[in-house]
Amino acid sequence: MSNTIRANLSGPSIRWLLSKPIASSPATSCCSSSIVPRIRLRRRYHSYQHPAPGPPFSRPESAILSASLLHVPSHGFTDAALSFGARDAGYLDISVNMFSRGVFDLVRYHLSTERLRLGDKVDFRKPEPELPEGLRNLSIPAKIRVLCMERLRANAPIIHRWQEILLKLTDVVSMDLLMKALAVMSLAENIPASVSELARLSDEIWFLAGDGCHDTTWYTKRATLSAVYASTELFMTQDNSNDFEATWEFLDRRLNEVEAAGSAVSNVSSYLDFTVHALANVLRSKSLPFF
Amino acid sequence: MFAHPLSRRLLSAAPSKHLRSVVTRVAVLNSTPTSLNSPPPQNDQLSSEPVTHFGFQTVKESLKATRVAEVFSSVASSYDTMNDVMSFGIHRLWKDHFVRSLNPGRRPGGRPMSILDVAGGTGDIAFRMLDHSEKANGDRGTTVLCADINADMLREGEKRAIQNGYDSNRISFCLENAETLDSIPDNSIDLYTISFGIRNVTRIPMALRSAHRVLKPGGVFACLEFSKVSPAFLDAIYQQYSFSVIPLMGQLVAGDRDSYQYLVESIKRFPSQSEYARMIRDAGLVNVGKGYEELTFGVASIWKGVKPLE
Repeated sequence: MSNTIRANLSGPSIRWLLSKPIASSPATSCCSSSIVPRIRLRRRYHSYQHPAPGPPFSRPESAILSASLLHVPSHGFTDAALSFGARDAGYLDISVNMFSRGVFDLVRYHLSTERLRLGDKVDFRKPEPELPEGLRNLSIPAKIRVLCMERLRANAPIIHRWQEILLKLTDVVSMDLLMKALAVMSLAENIPASVSELARLSDEIWFLAGDGCHDTTWYTKRATLSAVYASTELFMTQDNSNDFEATWEFLDRRLNEVEAAGSAVSNVSSYLDFTVHALANVLRSKSLPFF
Repeated sequence: MFAHPLSRRLLSAAPSKHLRSVVTRVAVLNSTPTSLNSPPPQNDQLSSEPVTHFGFQTVKESLKATRVAEVFSSVASSYDTMNDVMSFGIHRLWKDHFVRSLNPGRRPGGRPMSILDVAGGTGDIAFRMLDHSEKANGDRGTTVLCADINADMLREGEKRAIQNGYDSNRISFCLENAETLDSIPDNSIDLYTISFGIRNVTRIPMALRSAHRVLKPGGVFACLEFSKVSPAFLDAIYQQYSFSVIPLMGQLVAGDRDSYQYLVESIKRFPSQSEYARMIRDAGLVNVGKGYEELTFGVASIWKGVKPLE
């Protein structure tokens, strides 16, 4: 276990993951040499048009944070875990000032490294023969399920601590007034980062499942998967069953619901699509330029 | 500069000494060396010695330290009162936040820290550091060394340390130039702080290199300083306030207009948040986050840097 946690962003496959779409895509290699892309937005999703974002943490930061994660099972996501991690990495107690958001940076590190590591464990974009025995010839929903399970398993060593973090983010009922205010403040300032990390994870899962759609379902797929993943993660913190069996059943139920809802949504959207095009054609036939 | 006609108007009732000094300043600013009271700035540029700014004036590098010393010697005793009056007491909140965010003090299983507070003559930051490490971390071993270039400010701090009953083993004062920090050994400091001091240093990059030298690997550099206010309309209000009200208050409360005129001018001349963050990076320190944290719309900012291990 310690090996997987220790491996940080310098791992070759993660670098490959970050650089691959831009560096070696045949579609863009001709343009990138001659034309400087005008839009230099750092992308937040897998795209062949935007440069890949740099690693989210600097080298000293990941050294301390990866060492701190080893102390999370015993000390939780706390300042103590950060201090111990700093000491283990050869830094001083005061060096934890490197993390402007304190413990939340540790949470964010766990989220982003596990997201980036997912592609090393399971990658359905590989040719079928290279995939492990049980993972060949799966449908897209089955692939999504495998990837979700794989990512959730990465929370297993810290799941009892994870609950504390999620409670900090969601439940303020049991605290007194001042603490409540503080909790809400930390909630407000941490929500954008938490949500965007969740969005990136669901984008990563769809990407690794080999889904190449770029129509309107791009958004609905990611939104629904985010909801499914977040609720399953919450369920997992309360799950005492053997090897999280109850969690996997919960995940299956949520995915089935989404599939049912998804087909309803796609029926409605194809109906709307047809209607709009028909209307446009009627207008065009009357010499009214529609667009 | 819209501030000057206003400050001249305010000064018309002031003693002639003050009026002269403002005439000099305006002359230098407009590069018309017609005033007989000051040496023409061209002389400074022609001579081989490099020049620097002292507020809006241009002075030889070797002179700046003396001029700054004059300012702080004259404000030493009334320094905190004036700060309170000028910032409506907000400077205390900034300093409290600065110390709290650094969280000095021994951690469980760790060692006491050695803190260096440069330009900390009056002990403002040092006392807060000791209080915080004792109250928040239950640490009575962490020590603070206050270094200042100005003996008057140091005397003020020593007086206060005795008055408030601080342990003399935990706080000490020494006369030191921030650019060189001669008596402080390499790799010996956990936390280097400089609060409202760096803009008075003649060669800031040199001071940052010294900070890098004395810090242990993994040690933290933290700087609290006035900076640029960001929404433009707030900046306009702030500029009006600082150039018209502050020197006047200096005159009324401390009986010393010139020193406070220098303070506001030096704030205006200090580099922007990101420029200064780049200077910290250039000295070999690793910026924390984006490099700085703005307080009260950027009236002041906190910059932090960590000395890397290698």
